[in-house]
Amino acid sequence: MEPLAETPWDVTISGTGLAQSLLALALSRSGKKVLHVDQNSYYGGSEAAFSLQEAQEWASKVNGDPEHYPFEDATVYLPEGTPQLPTRSYTVTLSPHLIYSKSRLLPTLVASKVYRQLEFQAVGSWWIHRPSGVDGTSVLYRVPGSREDVFADDIISVKSKRTLMRFLRHIGKPPPDNDSEAEEENLAMSLPEYLTSKFQVPAELHEPLLSLSLSQASPGQTSAEYAVPRIKRHLASIGVFGPGFGSLLAKWGGGSEISQVGCRALAVGGGVYVLNAGVESIYNLHQSDNGDDMRVQLHLSNDETIKTKFLVGSNWDLPGQGRPACDKVARSITVVSSALESLFPVTAEGGPIPAGAVVVFPGSSFDQSDDLPPVYLLVHSSETGECPPGQCVVYGSVSHAGAGGQSLIESAVHRLLQTNAEPDAKVLWSLRYTQLGLSSNGANAHSSKFEGPSSNILCFPPPSLDLGFDDALIDRVKEVWKSVMGDEANEQEFMNFEEREHADDDD
Amino acid sequence: MSESTSTNTPKPSSSVKLVLLGEAAVGKSSLVLRFVNNDFQENKEPTIGAAFLTQKCSLPTRTIKFEIWDTAGQERFASLAPMYYRNAQAALVVYDVTKPSSLTKAKHWVAELQRQASPGIVIALVGNKLDLTNDGNEASGEPQADGEQQPPAATADGDDAAGEPQEEQDATPGDARKVSTREASSYADEEGLLFFETSAKTGVNVVEVFTAIANAIPESSLKSGRGAGAGTGQTTLGGGRPAEDSRVNLGDRSTATAKEGCAC
Repeated sequence: MEPLAETPWDVTISGTGLAQSLLALALSRSGKKVLHVDQNSYYGGSEAAFSLQEAQEWASKVNGDPEHYPFEDATVYLPEGTPQLPTRSYTVTLSPHLIYSKSRLLPTLVASKVYRQLEFQAVGSWWIHRPSGVDGTSVLYRVPGSREDVFADDIISVKSKRTLMRFLRHIGKPPPDNDSEAEEENLAMSLPEYLTSKFQVPAELHEPLLSLSLSQASPGQTSAEYAVPRIKRHLASIGVFGPGFGSLLAKWGGGSEISQVGCRALAVGGGVYVLNAGVESIYNLHQSDNGDDMRVQLHLSNDETIKTKFLVGSNWDLPGQGRPACDKVARSITVVSSALESLFPVTAEGGPIPAGAVVVFPGSSFDQSDDLPPVYLLVHSSETGECPPGQCVVYGSVSHAGAGGQSLIESAVHRLLQTNAEPDAKVLWSLRYTQLGLSSNGANAHSSKFEGPSSNILCFPPPSLDLGFDDALIDRVKEVWKSVMGDEANEQEFMNFEEREHADDDD
Repeated sequence: MSESTSTNTPKPSSSVKLVLLGEAAVGKSSLVLRFVNNDFQENKEPTIGAAFLTQKCSLPTRTIKFEIWDTAGQERFASLAPMYYRNAQAALVVYDVTKPSSLTKAKHWVAELQRQASPGIVIALVGNKLDLTNDGNEASGEPQADGEQQPPAATADGDDAAGEPQEEQDATPGDARKVSTREASSYADEEGLLFFETSAKTGVNVVEVFTAIANAIPESSLKSGRGAGAGTGQTTLGGGRPAEDSRVNLGDRSTATAKEGCAC
């Protein structure tokens, strides 16, 4: 193989996060000469998955080199007296996002023929913490996610059911064909105001409905404009791939697996992969410097210097890009010594056994005076391949960065174990960190345009902090793909590929 | 209860992710192509970059579908391997029996796998190009029992010394063998690897390698999937919950929307 320096690269992709890896997939049949590098020794960037040992190493790197990671304050917590865990029996992921069945990511993975290398599992139930049962103990209550659920529910009063059904019917209506006819619904208010004023939905149902939107803000801070379409998405997704569930997770580490599949596709298509090689400096060449159209010269951290027409990366993979405005959330990954089986019931006859569940602790459940945001726990069973049987991996998130947020998550995990696990269940291992990115309902949510010092250096915006996969990522990848393909870009061909071989697909 | 959900499946079928590792030009791709072609006449795919191939292996009680990842052409950067061997249940580490340096490289890969890959990964050490030796036409590969624990350092400085005959092998004219069966097989024994000498050219032992791997994959790892559980991990939860029950089939239902032609 010839040295990197001697190849005139069409595209150099820096970083193997989800955005870059989906771009790799998009370019995998383009015939372009693509060099894909990553400063890290692993794939996946800010969506990577790790063994416990690797997670520990990652935490040290994040703290030691904040320039290169959209993360801060990563620490591993080992409870005293916990035995040494078999580190490689775990695959903990930085991207446990759930993927709604209606997400455009899924048809994209199918049309690009890589879905066979992935295994998807159902996220079944949404649970919400209810302040007190009759005897003052706290319980988890299963959020009715469909009309069938509402009928079957024996906690909601008949009167409340009626209001809830009215709301569900309203948002389940297909959008009117003609936009001009559509009476503009007034959504310029908070979700609780909207539910109360339009449907008289009682207050006790506001938090459960909010949880279906995956809003990371408190009810009062969540606009109906934001939440209503997302609740619609939730309901419309149920049943698409099977009865009783509306969202999926990718086995073996979520977004990390999807990243790797994208990179493999490009490797199969002739792309060259080099890990441990970040872009250290960029030098713009003038047309006159060299006859061809190699416009950028890069120096890589493995000491090679290469020339490329396009360079694509993120603010953390490209030097001198500055730091974009970001939101911050507290996140944690916790391994617990309980299968938490009660969280994963089969939700409809003939449905799969869910491997994921969502547990929400509203801000109001924390006995603190502030208007706190909710804590979301995405719970993955051992079926995901992320931990050994008899354990679960709990991914916590709250839009309240720092020690305060971490203690909210810790308290939520603790209460989850109290209510749903065996008495001796405990935390075995935990990684806590702050993540930087764009919150889906934050002030920076729409600052997603590309910034780069020149037209052939393209920089993806910071990763989304949404707990569900954000389809906007596909649009961004497509924009970059179009820039790179130039005149050759044919929209029909974006991520739409023929079978590479006679794959035997009888299973 | 769970029986009622299972439809008419003739034999349980499991996917096994297998990675192919080894120095450039030891014949990794040829081995796989030989294996895949045995059952599949038409293989027209030229290998560029890396390759992904699938092949079934039928055992008496189950069918194993190998998903084979070939890192052809990119050995120099060793950068594809970490992506491939994560969650892999099996690895084929290939060297060339006529090239001692390739066994050294193979040992590096074995060490890396033992350090990084899933616990319980099945590793097969394969000496290819048997057709270039005098053993070429006999089935080889039975490990020699009397391994005298020879330190595997013979190749450390021998990379470039091309003409050096290996001590204990009868270096008859026309025999290009430079790595003795005994040296490689005793190393494989020490490390607990499956061991075979093959010829992708003549087909000797090729199918045997894959069958041996298929047989060596622990039943538990097939049930709970790739590399799951700690080595001994007996499932407390597995009993009532076969892994297939959690799988969501994307292909079937999205065919209509995605213009997918052949997910039948």
